[in-house]
Amino acid sequence: MRSSTKIFDPVTFSILWSRLISIVDEAGTTLQRTSFSTVTRESNDFAVVLMDAEGRSIAQSSISVPSFLGVLPMLTKALLKDYFPLDQWTEGDVVMTNDPWLCAGHKPDIGIVSPIFYKKNLIGFIGTIAHSPDMGGVLWGAGSRDLYEEGLMIPPTKLIKAGEPNTTLFNILEANVRAPLQTIGDIKAQIAANDQGIKSLKKMMQENNLVELNDLADAIIEKTEQTMRDAIRSAPDGDYSYTYITDGDGKELKCTVQTKITIKGDTIHVDYEGTSGAHPLSINAVKNYTYAYTAYPIKCAFSPSVPNNDGAFYPITVTAPEGSLLNAKKPSPLGARNITGNMLHSSVFGALSQAIPEKVQADCGSACWCVVLNGMYKNKEYVEYFFLNGGYGARPGMDGESVLSFPTNVANVPIEVLENDVPILVTEKSLVDGSAGDGQWRGGLGQRFAFKNVGEEAINISILTEKTITQAKGLLGGGDGLSGDIRIIPERPFPKKGLDKLHPGEELILTLPGGAGYGNKSKRAKSKIDNDRLMKYIK
Amino acid sequence: MHDNRDQKLRFSKTLTTYPDPTLGIYNGIKKIEELYGVVLDEIEYIIHGTTLITNAVIERKGSKTAFITTKGFEDVLEIGRELRYDIYDLFLTMPKALVPRNLRFGVEERVSNKGEILTPLSPQGLHEISQKIIENKVEAVGVCLLNSFANARHEKIIGQHLQEKCPDVQFSLSSEIMPEIREYERSSATAMNAYVQPLTDKYLKKLEIELKEKGFGGKLLIMDSGGKLTTVQEARKSPIQLLESGPAGGAIAGVYFSKTLDIKNLLCFDMGGTTAKASIIFDGKPEITNNFEAGRVKRFKKGSGLPVRIPVIDMIEIGAGGGSIARADQLGLLVVGPDSASSTPGPACYGRGGDNPTVTDADLVLGYLDPEYFLGGTMNISVEKSRDALREKLSIPLDISIEEAAMGIHRVVNENMANAARVHILEKGMDPRHFSMIAFGGAGPVHAFGVAKLLNVKELVIPIGAGVTSAVGFLLAPIAKECIHSHIRNLESLDWDEVNNFLERLEEEGKQFLVESGEDDKAYHLKRVVDMRYEGQGHDITIELPEDKLDTKSIDEIKKRFIKEYNFRYNRSNDDIALQMVTWRVLVSGKMPDVVVKQNQKDKRGIDPLKKVREVYFDVTGYMKCPVYDRYHLATGFSARGPMIIEEKESTTVVGLNSEVYIDNDKNIVIHIE
Repeated sequence: MRSSTKIFDPVTFSILWSRLISIVDEAGTTLQRTSFSTVTRESNDFAVVLMDAEGRSIAQSSISVPSFLGVLPMLTKALLKDYFPLDQWTEGDVVMTNDPWLCAGHKPDIGIVSPIFYKKNLIGFIGTIAHSPDMGGVLWGAGSRDLYEEGLMIPPTKLIKAGEPNTTLFNILEANVRAPLQTIGDIKAQIAANDQGIKSLKKMMQENNLVELNDLADAIIEKTEQTMRDAIRSAPDGDYSYTYITDGDGKELKCTVQTKITIKGDTIHVDYEGTSGAHPLSINAVKNYTYAYTAYPIKCAFSPSVPNNDGAFYPITVTAPEGSLLNAKKPSPLGARNITGNMLHSSVFGALSQAIPEKVQADCGSACWCVVLNGMYKNKEYVEYFFLNGGYGARPGMDGESVLSFPTNVANVPIEVLENDVPILVTEKSLVDGSAGDGQWRGGLGQRFAFKNVGEEAINISILTEKTITQAKGLLGGGDGLSGDIRIIPERPFPKKGLDKLHPGEELILTLPGGAGYGNKSKRAKSKIDNDRLMKYIK
Repeated sequence: MHDNRDQKLRFSKTLTTYPDPTLGIYNGIKKIEELYGVVLDEIEYIIHGTTLITNAVIERKGSKTAFITTKGFEDVLEIGRELRYDIYDLFLTMPKALVPRNLRFGVEERVSNKGEILTPLSPQGLHEISQKIIENKVEAVGVCLLNSFANARHEKIIGQHLQEKCPDVQFSLSSEIMPEIREYERSSATAMNAYVQPLTDKYLKKLEIELKEKGFGGKLLIMDSGGKLTTVQEARKSPIQLLESGPAGGAIAGVYFSKTLDIKNLLCFDMGGTTAKASIIFDGKPEITNNFEAGRVKRFKKGSGLPVRIPVIDMIEIGAGGGSIARADQLGLLVVGPDSASSTPGPACYGRGGDNPTVTDADLVLGYLDPEYFLGGTMNISVEKSRDALREKLSIPLDISIEEAAMGIHRVVNENMANAARVHILEKGMDPRHFSMIAFGGAGPVHAFGVAKLLNVKELVIPIGAGVTSAVGFLLAPIAKECIHSHIRNLESLDWDEVNNFLERLEEEGKQFLVESGEDDKAYHLKRVVDMRYEGQGHDITIELPEDKLDTKSIDEIKKRFIKEYNFRYNRSNDDIALQMVTWRVLVSGKMPDVVVKQNQKDKRGIDPLKKVREVYFDVTGYMKCPVYDRYHLATGFSARGPMIIEEKESTTVVGLNSEVYIDNDKNIVIHIE
C-alpha cells in the first residue's frame, strides 16, 4: 500500500474525511425521507457507502445498521470482477441486485450501485442497500421451504443505463411484488440517495481541487486500519472458544454456533468450525452476512469510534464451514437469516470475555422477534411488520436496559398505529417481572405483548421467535435470563418460526426473553436489590 | 425594551440568578430604570423566556409524579420505542422514565382507535388508584389512556375524580396536552407536563404576584417553544410548551429580519460559549417540528432524550462554541468539542488554569479577537497562554505550526457547523444554496463568514444587537395558540362535515384563548394546516388548508398543494399513491406587534470608524494587515471590501477576502461573498 497520509496536512485531512462522512449521511437522509418501507425509515435498515474505483469503502453513513457492514464494498468488488469490469460503466448507470450471496443475505435487501464520474473519469462508486417492502414469494419470515419461495431474485443488472431506465426490469418487479408502488418508490429513493451523494462529492472535489479519490482513500483506509490494529494488539494473544446453542425450530432441532477466536498480534480470526449444518427452516446465513455480524461486535468491543471503511475490516477475518448454518449454499432458504445473525455476538462476546472481560456485554434476550400480519382490512390488502425486543444483557458496571436489543436495533410500532392499520386489539404490553438474569449486574427485563384478532377474517401471520427453549447466557458468573414463551388462546399448537393464521377472536400472547447477568450475584449492591424489589423488577 | 414613545429599541443584559431566577428579572427591571429612566408601572408588557423547565427535566428536579394509564400498559412509559441511540456503544444508558414503576397505575378501561368504548372505566379501580396517590403523597399525576386522542371521555372522568378526591394534586390529561396518535410519545409528554407543573405553577404565580406588588400593572406574557407568546394561565396549564422558550427568540428575530431585509430563505446561526445552533426561516416562516426531545442522556445525540411532541422551532445544536476544546484524537485528526472548557477554567487565554486550547484561543491567535478589547475591554486575556496551549496539545503532536493549528481549529469548527447545517437543510428537502445567512450570539459573527462560504451562501447579515438577538425576537412574536386534532383518514374518504366541525371547534378554542388573554377576538389571524403524507410513509409534510368550509371540491386543491410541496422538497412525486391526513392544526394569533428594530444611537458623524490596522491570519494569505472598525461608528451607507474586522461590545465580526461589506438603513452589516 502507498503511504499517503503525508500528502494531506492533518487539518485538511480531518476536514475532507468528515466531509465524506457528511456526504453519505446527506444521501442517507434523502433515502430515509422518501422511502416507504417501515424498516428503512423507522429502524434505519439501510446503508450508504462511498467507495473508490476499486470498490474499497471510504465512508459509510453513520446511522446504518450492522447487517450491512462491509457488504457494499464486497458487492461492488464482485460486480467489478464478475459482472461489469471498469470499462463497462458509463455515466448515469445504476446497477441493481438482491442476490443474497452478493448482497446482504436475503432477497428483500436491495443493493443499488452507481458509478461516479468526475471530469469524464470513473473515480469511484456510491451504493445503497435498503430493506424493500416486498420481493414477492411467501410472506417474509421463516415459512419458506427453499430459496425459490422467497420471491424474485434479480442478478446484477443495469436498472438504468446511461440515464435510460430499463423498463422491462421495472415491469417485472412491478408484476411480482405486493405493494408495487411502495417497492418501486423505495428503489427510486435509493437512486435519489446515490444521486445526492454524487452531487455533493463533486462539489467537494471541485472546492478542494481534487481530481481523483485514490490518495484520500489510501490515507483514510490506512489510518483506520492502523487504529484498529493498535486496539487489537492491546488484547492478549490466544485462542478463545465458546459454544452457543440456539432455538433452531424451537422444538427438537436446535443449532450450535461453535466459535474459536484467535487473537494474534494485530489480527483477529474467527472460525466457526463445528457449527451446525444448514437448517431446513429459512434461518441460514450467507458468508457476507456472517462476516458483518461477526465484525460488528468485535468493532464495538475494540474500537467503537473508528469510522467504518475498508481499513476497519482488514484485520478481521472470518471463516465458516461450507454449507453450514453460517455459510449456506443454494438452494438453502435464507429469508429469516437475521435470527441467526443476531446471535453471533453472543458467541463472539462469550469467547472474548476470556480475553477482554471489561469490554464485553452479557447475552441479550435477542434475536428480536418479528411478526408479519397480512390480510384484508378496510377493503385493502395490508402487510404489517412489527418487531419486539427482549432484555439487554448486563455490562461490567451497568445493569442491562429493559426491552432493548443488540445487535439489531429496531423500534417498535406504536400500539395505536398498529390498531389503526390492522384489525387487532392489543391487550397487554408490559415488562416481565423476574425475567432478567441475576448477577453483580443484572440483565434487562423482557416484555409481554399480547393481541387479539378483532376483525371478521383470519389474519395470515408469519412469526419469528427465539430463545423459547434456550436462554440468554450469563457471563463470568452472571445468571441466565428467562426463556421466552408463545401462547395462543384458545390453546392450540402454534409455530415458533413460520406461518399460521390468527382466527377471529384468537389472542396471541408473546413473552420475550430477559437479558443475562454479568458477574456473581453475591457481589450485587444491597441498594440495587432493594430498588429492584420496590419496582418489582425481581420476584 | 421597545419604547413606544419614540419607537426605539433599548438593550440591557443581566446575569441569570440561581437558585431563584426571579431576582435576575428584578435586576433587569432595575437596570432599565437606571439606564433609561423607565419605571415598572409605565411598562405595558413584560415578555419572559425561561430555561427553568428544561433544567428541571435535565436535572430531574421535578415533583413526585404518578401516572395513570390503561391496565396492562403501565410499562409503556418505561419501555419507550426500544431503539438504541448509538449503535456502537455497548455501554449506553437509556433515559429513565420520569415516573417510576411503583407510581404507575393501570385502570380497567379500553377505547378503540375509532373512539368506541370497548370496556367501560372501572369506578372501583379508579377509587383504588386515588387512594394510592394520596398514600404516596404524590404531587402531580399524568393521565394517558390508549386511543384517548379518539375519545377523551375516560380521561376526563379520571380528571374529575382526581379533582374531587385529591384536590391538592395537579393533573395533566394527555387529551389536553397532546391529543395525537402514538401512545409512548403522548405518555412521555403528559408525564413530563405533570412532572414540571407544580414547580412552574409556583414560579409563575410568585413572579406574577411580586411584579404586581412592585407596581407592575401591565401584562406578563411567556414565550413558548414554537415562537408564540402565551399567557401565564396557559403556561401553567401546559408548561412543557415552554421547554424551548429561550432559543425560540432567535428564530423569531430571524422571521423579522427576513421581512425587513426582504430575504425569504434565511439560515439563522447562533453561536455562544458552549454550543452553536442553526434554524431555518423558509419563505419568511420559521420551520416548526414536533420531533423534540428533552433531558437527553447524551446532549448532542438524537434519540437519547424523552420525546415531547410539542411544536418547537426546528433547531440543530452542536457542541461547538467559543469554549469548545480542541485535541488530536487517536486517528491523529484534529477534533473540536463537544467538551467545553465552560467559564471555569475557561479557554487557556483566561489564565484560570485551563491548559486546553479552545476555539476562543484559536480566534485570538489568528487575530480575530483583540486581547485589549475582549468583552469590550472588560476582561484581561493572554495570547501567550493561548499559544502555549496550542503548541503543547496540537502543534507538537500533529507536527504543524501554532498558526496552522489555530487555523485548523477555526476551519474544523466551521466545517462541523456547515456539515450539520447542510444535513439539517436537506432533511427538510431544501438546498442550502437558496439561503442567506444571519449570524448572532457571542461567537456567531466570528465564524459566520467561514460557515457561509462552506455552505455556498452568498449573503451574510450581522444584525444590530447581535449579542441579544434572541431577546429582540421576544418583542416580535404574536400572542397565539395552536389547537390540534388527530384524525387519520385518506383524503378521498373524509367526511367533510366532520372535518368542518372539528376545525370550527379548534378555531373557537383558539378564539376563546385570545379573549381570555385580553386580545381582540375580531382581528385575529387564522391559519389551518394539516400534516399529511403518502399512505405508508412515515414523515409528514405540513400543508395549509384552503380557506372557508371544506368539501369534496377541496380535494383537488389539497392534493395540488401537497404535490407542489413534495415536488419542491424531493424533486419528484408519486401520483398514484393515496394521500393520508394525520394531524390537523389550527393556529389562532392576535395582532402582530408593531416593533421596528433600529439602533438607539444617532450616527456620530465625523468620528473615524477605523480603529486600527492589525495583523490577522487568513487561510490563503497567512498573517496580513487588516483594518479593524468600530461598529458603533459605522454609518449607514458605509461600504468597503473585505477583509476586515468589525468590533462591538458583545461580539466581533470577521470578514474574509473576496467580499463586499456595507451598512444598510437599519445599521445591519450586510456581507456579499463572491
